[in-house]
Amino acid sequence: MMQYKDAILKAADYIRAHTSADDFTINGGYNNELHARFAQNGITQHISGTKTWLSLSVAFGAQTGAAEVNELSEEALKNLIKRAETMAHMNQPDPEFVASEQARDIPKTNNYSDATASLSLEDVVSGIQRCVANARGKDARVSGISQRFYGGHCIQTKNGFSGWDDHSTFSHSMTMKRDDVETKVSGSVKDFTTFDMTAMINRLNEQFDALSSPVQHHTGRMPVILRPAAVLDWLWYLMWMYQRRMADDGLSPYSGQIGNEFFGKRFTLRSSIDDAELSTPPFSDNAIVARNINWVNKGVIEEMRVDRDYAKLAGIPANYQANLIVDGGETSEAEMMKMVDNGIIVNRLWYIRSVDQKRGEMTGLTRDGVLYFEDGAVKRAVTNFRWNEIFYDMTRRILALGPSMLIENNARVPAMLIDGFNFVDVTTF
Amino acid sequence: MDYLSFAMDAARRLGADYADIRIQRTQTEMLYLRNLSLKHCNLDELYGYGIRVFKNGAWGFAHNTVFSEEAIEKTVKTAFNIATQSARVAHGTGLTLAHERGYIDTFRSPFSIDPFDIPFAEKIELMREVNQTMLRYNDIKVATFMLECRKDEKLFASTLDSRLDITTVYIEPNFTATAVTAEDSQSRSFREGGHAKGWEWIRSLNLVDKARHVAQEAIMKVHADSLGAEERRTLLLDPIHMSLTMHESVGHPTELDRVLGWEADFAGISFATPEKLRSFQYGSPIVNFVADNTLADGLASAGYDDDGVPNQKWYIVKDGILNEYGTTRATAPFIGQQMSRGCNRATHYYDFPINRIPNLYLEPGKEPLSPNELIADTKDGVLIEGQGSFSIDQHRVNFQFGGDMFWEIKDGKKVRPLKKIIYRSNNPEFWNSVDAICDERYFRTFGVSNCGKGQPGQRGRMTHGGALARFRNIRVGGSQ
Repeated sequence: MMQYKDAILKAADYIRAHTSADDFTINGGYNNELHARFAQNGITQHISGTKTWLSLSVAFGAQTGAAEVNELSEEALKNLIKRAETMAHMNQPDPEFVASEQARDIPKTNNYSDATASLSLEDVVSGIQRCVANARGKDARVSGISQRFYGGHCIQTKNGFSGWDDHSTFSHSMTMKRDDVETKVSGSVKDFTTFDMTAMINRLNEQFDALSSPVQHHTGRMPVILRPAAVLDWLWYLMWMYQRRMADDGLSPYSGQIGNEFFGKRFTLRSSIDDAELSTPPFSDNAIVARNINWVNKGVIEEMRVDRDYAKLAGIPANYQANLIVDGGETSEAEMMKMVDNGIIVNRLWYIRSVDQKRGEMTGLTRDGVLYFEDGAVKRAVTNFRWNEIFYDMTRRILALGPSMLIENNARVPAMLIDGFNFVDVTTF
Repeated sequence: MDYLSFAMDAARRLGADYADIRIQRTQTEMLYLRNLSLKHCNLDELYGYGIRVFKNGAWGFAHNTVFSEEAIEKTVKTAFNIATQSARVAHGTGLTLAHERGYIDTFRSPFSIDPFDIPFAEKIELMREVNQTMLRYNDIKVATFMLECRKDEKLFASTLDSRLDITTVYIEPNFTATAVTAEDSQSRSFREGGHAKGWEWIRSLNLVDKARHVAQEAIMKVHADSLGAEERRTLLLDPIHMSLTMHESVGHPTELDRVLGWEADFAGISFATPEKLRSFQYGSPIVNFVADNTLADGLASAGYDDDGVPNQKWYIVKDGILNEYGTTRATAPFIGQQMSRGCNRATHYYDFPINRIPNLYLEPGKEPLSPNELIADTKDGVLIEGQGSFSIDQHRVNFQFGGDMFWEIKDGKKVRPLKKIIYRSNNPEFWNSVDAICDERYFRTFGVSNCGKGQPGQRGRMTHGGALARFRNIRVGGSQ
């Protein structure tokens, strides 16, 4: 591990000493990866290796250029500098040029665990063996992937920014299928000692056992309980369009809505540098320092995503989505089912895409298990739906929230009971 | 040093049942201009090698960037060790590989002017001119241009004694104009996809003229009406639009790894299961989908795939019937095929090759038919040009698509532009509703360069194509 860090820092020193640019940003790092992919109860693909990268962005006045390599030899670094500088010399001045970041206080977040980094090939295969044995016990087939990463990321700029972040992640995902029953669980942690394979297998079995013989349900608007993984699925897409520049340019539904209660009162969305369980890269790829951010506070839009270019242009602070947290409530799924006459429970959402960017309308499907409930109890499994929804409007229809849970190593979200969810079509499975 | 032979000898010494090595250098130039500000300009180079070892019916794969005998031997051993560990959880009684032989060959994409020989300044100048052309229209508030040039130089060797030297190139220019009013914003794009051609292709496109057209249609679109509620209507789909539809609803469902459930946890599986081969009515009798990895400027055309299997041409759907799949050496034996169709491809040196969609196109109609004649023959319908929103379920049955430009057709004429149109359909309804396809004079291709698949994710590429086609009785309407 140290050998890569030393090599990258040495390469950064070489670039600092040899570039003639007026300004520069060096971005480098390495990732040691192990990916064991399994399908239909057997391993089908298995990869190991370390990737390194080093990118250099330079400026002569407002003329910019950038290049990237994955080798750290002197020859490669000479070529890197030459390519980036040649590009800048041949470029035209950028009307929105922003100088590289200055020295900043970088928050101390811990994203690395020895327990994760030291996971062996044999450990990972043994974990998969347990999952396959469980599936065989249910006369089912399991497919998925177990992954272990560790590495480091550095940024240095001409203007004094300097940071290094060590990180590690273990993630495991699996889908179990037998005939028309198909369901999935997944999760990731930065510290492998907090990963509980038994709990994950139990959750998979619970979901699996509830899903026999799904039948088609009618379409239309109806109450839905989105389990936490499904909530996270749409949150990533919400954030994709949740950009201040898009709003100010009139391209999204959030135009002119800063400070307004535009989302539902029950919806609070934030990023935190103080949550010890969450992975929180302390700075972004373009040297924006992580901080506590209330994106939406009890329905009120406080901040939208702002990159460094637009921050300078608009005279507002840049920000960076280091992780995502949706504040939860205390309502259990059983209690949610009693709050409405009937509705649908969804494990996950799938293939979410924008339909109408200006209105914020998105489409997608359900996946990995859908249940119909009535009179406070699950009645039957149902086949998947297509839905078309407007996320901000949907949060105005939140009736209840479950406890906020760690779903991925960078996200903590609750289950949501939402009224009038717009199911527009049904599938055959 | 002959690292290829050294690696293969090392694998043989360890007792590998099969092994291969790919030494690959990938150069990517990515330029993104937004309102005359160059937001992204990068020239990346990735160089390294990946070694696959097959032992006891299981794969191991390791990659490295250090070129020395010691490093290569270590990487071979890592791959061998991984294969041995993988065999602890073997797939069934272990994978088998379809028969293949060794080849010694070279392949080069058919380009005249290497895009990496074109000065950066020339590229930026062209992009700025296109941007400025679009921004001269008052209603155009955002103009973007993304240009990608990519070159892959690959040396491949296997324990079958193959030695392949493959160079592929592609270029992909995309630009978009966005018109904004107080009530709405709408975009129109120029997107032909990637083409395995040289810079001579870019010079032939007259992009500045196309920028005017794009800006004018964006403005037309932002002021256009939508349709009312969903109704069963006739659809006319242009080849650029249809490339995306066929990619999602024909290409992916006929990748054999998906059919076998190997993608169950992420990308999904397929409704087009093996018992449907040569009996399932995938489309109407005039629907023929051709897989063709020999297509001249196809993005999947590379001479050989990453199993070392030669590129081929075959029917995926013949006369409307599901005929065959895209296969690899590891997947083909599951349906009793002796040979692979050569669809195993990796993106970078560090990627494990996976079963990919081949170049795939809808065969043009056999009777003479022009787009104008097809429109004239349509009493009431909607014409969709270009690509927009797309979403499909994980079995590849139910889908919803938007588009880039929409026209209402009444009594055989394009009568007005529309916006915010979506259609919903499913397999097999959709391709069975085709009742007319324009002829080969109007055949156009679109190269997909960003096909996301696999865990860890890879960005695959392949080319699709067709001619304007008509679909009857499809659910079409305005969005929500």
